[in-house]
Amino acid sequence: MTATTTTTTRTAARVVDAVKVYGSGDTSVRALDGVSVDFPAGRFTAIMGPSGSGKSTLMHCAAGLDTLTSGTAHIGDTELGTLDDRRLTLMRRDRVGFVFQAYNLVPTLTVVENITLPLDLAGDTGDKEWIDALIDVVGLRGRLHHRPSELSGGQQQRVAVARAFAGRPDVVFADEPTGNLDSRSGEEVLGLLGRTVRQTARTVVMVTHDPVAAAHADEVVFLADGRLVDRMTSPTADKVLDRMKAFEVPS
Amino acid sequence: MNASLRISVSSLRAHKRRFAGTFLAVLLGVAFLAGTLVMGDTLRASFDTMFGNATSGTDAVVRSADTITTPGESQGVRRPVDTGLVKRIEDTPGVAAAVPNIEGAGQLIGADGDPIGGAGPPTLAGNWIDDPKLNPYQLAEGRAPSKSGEVVVNRGTAERGDLKIGDTTTLRTPDPVKVTIVGLATFGGEDGMAQVTFTGMTQADAEKYLTAKPGEAAAIQVRAGPGTSQQELVDALTPVLPKGIEAITGQESAAENTDMISGQFLSLFTTFLLVFSGVALLVATFSIHNTFAIVVAQRTRENALLRALGASRRQVTVSTLVEASAVAVVASAAGLAGGIGIAAGLQALFPAIGFPFPDGDLVISGLSMLLPLVVGVVVCLGSALLPAVRAGRTTPLAALRETAVDQSGASRTRAAVGGGLGALAIAVTLTGVFVSPSLWLAGSGALLALAAFVVLGPVASTTAVRALGSPLDRLRGVTGGLARRNALRSPKRTAATASALMIGVAVVSLFTVFGASLKATMDQTVSRSFAGDVAVSTPSFGAGGSGLSPRLAGAIAERPEVDTAVGLGRGVAEVDGKGRALTVTDPAALERTFDLGTVQGSMRDLGSDGIAITENEADKQGLKTGDKTQLTFTDGKKETFTVRVLYGQSELAGEYVITREAWAPHRTQDSDTLVAVSFKDGVSAADGKAAVEKVAAAYGNPEVQTRDEYAQSSAGGIDMMLTLVYALLALAVLIALLGIANTLTLAIHERTRELGLLRAVGQTRAQLRAMVRWESVLVAAFGTVGGLVLGGFLGWVLVKASDGASDSAFAFSLPPAQLALVALVGVAAGALAGLRPARRAARLDVLRAIATE
Repeated sequence: MTATTTTTTRTAARVVDAVKVYGSGDTSVRALDGVSVDFPAGRFTAIMGPSGSGKSTLMHCAAGLDTLTSGTAHIGDTELGTLDDRRLTLMRRDRVGFVFQAYNLVPTLTVVENITLPLDLAGDTGDKEWIDALIDVVGLRGRLHHRPSELSGGQQQRVAVARAFAGRPDVVFADEPTGNLDSRSGEEVLGLLGRTVRQTARTVVMVTHDPVAAAHADEVVFLADGRLVDRMTSPTADKVLDRMKAFEVPS
Repeated sequence: MNASLRISVSSLRAHKRRFAGTFLAVLLGVAFLAGTLVMGDTLRASFDTMFGNATSGTDAVVRSADTITTPGESQGVRRPVDTGLVKRIEDTPGVAAAVPNIEGAGQLIGADGDPIGGAGPPTLAGNWIDDPKLNPYQLAEGRAPSKSGEVVVNRGTAERGDLKIGDTTTLRTPDPVKVTIVGLATFGGEDGMAQVTFTGMTQADAEKYLTAKPGEAAAIQVRAGPGTSQQELVDALTPVLPKGIEAITGQESAAENTDMISGQFLSLFTTFLLVFSGVALLVATFSIHNTFAIVVAQRTRENALLRALGASRRQVTVSTLVEASAVAVVASAAGLAGGIGIAAGLQALFPAIGFPFPDGDLVISGLSMLLPLVVGVVVCLGSALLPAVRAGRTTPLAALRETAVDQSGASRTRAAVGGGLGALAIAVTLTGVFVSPSLWLAGSGALLALAAFVVLGPVASTTAVRALGSPLDRLRGVTGGLARRNALRSPKRTAATASALMIGVAVVSLFTVFGASLKATMDQTVSRSFAGDVAVSTPSFGAGGSGLSPRLAGAIAERPEVDTAVGLGRGVAEVDGKGRALTVTDPAALERTFDLGTVQGSMRDLGSDGIAITENEADKQGLKTGDKTQLTFTDGKKETFTVRVLYGQSELAGEYVITREAWAPHRTQDSDTLVAVSFKDGVSAADGKAAVEKVAAAYGNPEVQTRDEYAQSSAGGIDMMLTLVYALLALAVLIALLGIANTLTLAIHERTRELGLLRAVGQTRAQLRAMVRWESVLVAAFGTVGGLVLGGFLGWVLVKASDGASDSAFAFSLPPAQLALVALVGVAAGALAGLRPARRAARLDVLRAIATE
């Protein structure tokens, strides 16, 4: 525990000169156009940008869900491009956590089974105390044996957050985690992400288009047209909103 | 209407893959059906032509009018005609030629020392008729027999036995006769009359070996002079024939012969195949219904949207049905073409495996075109009807809800209806088995049981899959756990998928159990009533084989090692006006080598006018010891016999026993079916057997078997039948597996997002594949277990009902090894069915899967 609680400037994940092209020829789309960015460990980073700016693509490539056309993506010291599908899967299982917009829980599993799913897939019992603590942090103690269909959207997303952290991953990627939630539930989930980062020295990278959500992060990186255009530390909703408005006026 | 059609067409085009399973199921079922019909018609037509060609020169057949038919025999025994009539017939105006046709059993020994044929079709011997127009066989090579010991055999037989002109071999009539082949013959242009073997001898030889006394023939064949029609010939002959002798036209005779083959053998054969194509189509019905049910459920939103936009219920229902009909028509047509292809292939294949399939074009009747098409379309549309109606009932509001996957299953009504059906099934079955034994009642009970199983499937699936899958959690961890829960998701769907396999497995187990029970019955019969040490018999089946020489038993008895050797011959006579099989033997010796149960009276006292009857038969006829009864023999003579002995056990020994002396005056071609031998005290089994074998070698080398070997070989035909049945059922099982694969593919489509998530959070491709495979195995295991239970029950019902409905006792036996094998095959097949869906699921692109709505 002590080793991970010391604050370092180590990067949990980074991409270097990332280029992602979809399609080919005339119809090709350059979703990422030479992005280099690193996500420091122990920090909560938000990726913002207008629709089509490439923010989701950046997250998918950084997380090993998608591959880059050129450039490199790293989780810790591991370069993802060198891994085959199996190693990539194992890497995701052991070192990365995910929170998706649509909760994406397995409907046949109970809450607690969903939380421990990555560990179970690894055939790992995990750290009992850690998971116990997680359950308390997300506030689902009373619903452990319910099925996802019996929970509200906010509760389901909290389960997804707990699952993302269950294996103590190097980094958790969250893709519009509040996109399907009302503002109160969204606030809860964001608070939860922020608290977990600060209290347990985890790393979170979140893609969002909501300035209020971005304000929960330690730092915001702005993407436009597949390029990194700005970074902002200690963001507030207003500052972020102002910065975003600037995109709408073509520069 | 137009809109419905457009929707159907575009949806079919978009979801071709979903219907691949349905398409294949219909295609296979229809192809089987069409193939059977076309092949049946073609065989029938070919045999007609062949018989027509072979017997076209015979204008009239003179024979005795009466036959004696024993129960269970399709063809009666006809009494012979006096060859002295030939002269009188020849003198009748309008007759150009008349020849006696002597016919009997005669089995040739092949070059390798093994008898040729005998496993079903008759092995015939007769006199070679020199008039080529009257002889159905034509000389193809060599010459006709001119002196004793020379024979002509049909070419097919010669090829099977690897015999050539000039070869010398043995003909069992059943007395071994040394014969030299001097010619090869064809029948109606073919190498033989199907698998029937024929050996033509000189008339003198035929009279000597094939009839009880010279001067007898099976029939007299007559050829008309120029200008005399067949009917005129018959009309001219009738007045000159003595009482009891009839003349029929050559056409009638040919029709009778064809009828015997196509009416009995071919009908049986096609009925048999039709039953199995029925089973395959029944299984297909379940698969197809399931596919449509799933597709409709998956399309709830789409249909709801159509309804919201103003489509009427009818339009939605019709568009689903149009889709079904399109699949049905195309698949049925393809199946029909496939079936015709199968028939054509078999026509080409049969001669290659030594079964002369007569030449001729494929006969494709209107019925064999129409019936498979209609059945295919009806099965497909019928299966889609309920899902289509359900599609029409979709409320427009469903468009706004989350995609609803049908999760209904164990409703109370279903449990109640299923339970009721089950109770009724048991009640009817038990009544049919125990209270008033009847195959009909038991059969209806069995059908009800099948219905109960299908209705109760979803109720049982939850519990069953949970139980069957419980080791998975421990063995395969979360992968197994997920597989189990996936199988539990929609009990109705799991049950419907498994039902198809259940029916297939049930029929397989039914036959397995029934076959094992028959074997056990034979085993029991032999061990209960056969008290001898070895049995001598010729392995034969159906009408084939020539039996054993009646002199063999005497020769064996002379050996110093042997205590008793008794031969059992078979005769027929009418007792009280009904045809009965008689056992012709030495009753005193019979008593020593067979356990006859309680015997009232002495077997030694039968004499030439006494008869021994089982108690059971005597009861039926109201006979007691000392009573007199009249026997009518095949030669038309009536004699009065006194019932001297009643005995308990009829197995092996038969229901009626008379002495050889009583039989001798009326005998036909004599043969024994079995010689039972017991050794003297102190003679080892090996020594005794060797001694008997030495004697038997001189009598055409029949098989000498110990009691166990005899019991086993008696059951040999059952194994042959079972193999055939399994091969035919493979199709039904294949269709069921296609159904499982299809359901899984559809389910994977439904769960795309979930699978993507699993992959994202670290499920390896191997784990994902294993998960899908295990789900498939679980569904298959559920179907297999259900099928085993149902099949076992049906087998028990069949055995018990047969036991109750007939006089002979049936033993019930559950063969654990075979049933375990069936279970293993079912489960392994499930794993196989899961392979493709698993591979497809593992190929999913993680990102796209997560993004899928």
